[in-house]
Amino acid sequence: MAGAQAKGLVSVHLIHHFHGRHESPIHRLPAALKLGLALVIIVATVLAPIQWRGWFLGVAGLLVLMAIVSRLPPFFLFRRLLALSPFVLGVVLVNAYQPAGRVNWLGVAFKSVLCLLTVILVSNTTPFSQILRVLKSIRVPALLITTIALMHRYLFVLMDEAERMRRARASRTFTRGRRFHWRALATVVGQLFIRASERAERIYDAMCARGWK
Amino acid sequence: MNAAIEITNLKYRYHDGTEALRGVSFCITSGECVALLGPNGSGKSTLLLHLNGILPEKLSGDGAVKILGEPVAPEKLEAVRRQVGLVFQDPDDQLFCPTVQEDVAFGPQQLGLGDAEVAARVQKALAQVGLAGFGHRATHHLSHGEKRRVCLAGVLACEPAILILDEPTSDLDPRGRREFKALLRQIPATKLIATHDLELVVELCSRAIVLDRGSVVADGPVFELLNDEQLMLEHGLERPHILWHVHPH
Repeated sequence: MAGAQAKGLVSVHLIHHFHGRHESPIHRLPAALKLGLALVIIVATVLAPIQWRGWFLGVAGLLVLMAIVSRLPPFFLFRRLLALSPFVLGVVLVNAYQPAGRVNWLGVAFKSVLCLLTVILVSNTTPFSQILRVLKSIRVPALLITTIALMHRYLFVLMDEAERMRRARASRTFTRGRRFHWRALATVVGQLFIRASERAERIYDAMCARGWK
Repeated sequence: MNAAIEITNLKYRYHDGTEALRGVSFCITSGECVALLGPNGSGKSTLLLHLNGILPEKLSGDGAVKILGEPVAPEKLEAVRRQVGLVFQDPDDQLFCPTVQEDVAFGPQQLGLGDAEVAARVQKALAQVGLAGFGHRATHHLSHGEKRRVCLAGVLACEPAILILDEPTSDLDPRGRREFKALLRQIPATKLIATHDLELVVELCSRAIVLDRGSVVADGPVFELLNDEQLMLEHGLERPHILWHVHPH
């Protein structure tokens, strides 16, 4: 569990690493175009009947081509996909227990992977502030945009904080009992929640200090 | 001379009943640079949050805190926050926008300035703190020292008459500290600095106020106070080494 936490932290930082260092024709495309295209691909993928094998392979080919042009390391993309795979697994499991599910679970899994890959590609080739700008231009309510922006901003602070707490805990954990670990983890999660809400208060104060209404 | 900050018998109690401020009074004249000293938990940060009306939660406008002669009251809040720039201790609390540019622009935008004026202020503030050209950088990718300076720029962009800093040099490396001090020296605003960095106090401030357990225990010229070893030790401070080398006369 703790290992997964640490890995998650590293990979999230990697995303930003790529924003900063990587350049490609895909990175340079207008954000609005990328988001629009992603939406079209996702909606079409979800709606298309599973029998259209050729169509799905076409989309997959397009995504792979984009991934190559974007120069994102394949291993990095694979790891991101793996990190999101619980969602796919969940969808597939639910599907498998439905009357017709045993026939098409593979198709559903393929569809989900295509959608996730689309999202991963867009989010890793578009700076977050540009995504926000697009949302603003299509009139997403300002309150929602502020919430998303703050969430994105403090995700990193929270993750760093979780990681610091994990390290501090790990350096004082001498016993190996599993139950003890779970209990400690519960404390960490609780602490993180308290710290997050206290930080939220301080952030709000700081915003007010600069005239937020 | 007119008073920039006037505090009379200010009291504050936290929700859990802890008395944080027990009747604090002092007055700071316009243009002064004053250090607010005191051990951890003495009420420094709590006091600072009163200066632009973030605390108490329910502003009574009783006149315990006056900024430029005006009591901090609910209907005056906007005017007060225009005058008082508060730089928070943890830069991560203050920098909440995705990019440096947006963060520094936040204050001026809240002031209702036009786009051109906002952009001009952002550029000026970033240049002032030595971060010209940093506008597009992501705030969470800056070093701690850079974050500090962006925080300061975000407040300077609002052009406040009074600048309040909560431990501005904590966690900075010596060079960062030196540069930040030089920066502060160039800012003409009235300054109140809560800090444990006694070298900074000696170099920048003319007057110091010592707070302990929510009360003012000393208020006077920096050299006089910091040289009083017994006073310093009693209140969790010390006579800074720099005073062994500096001669006030």
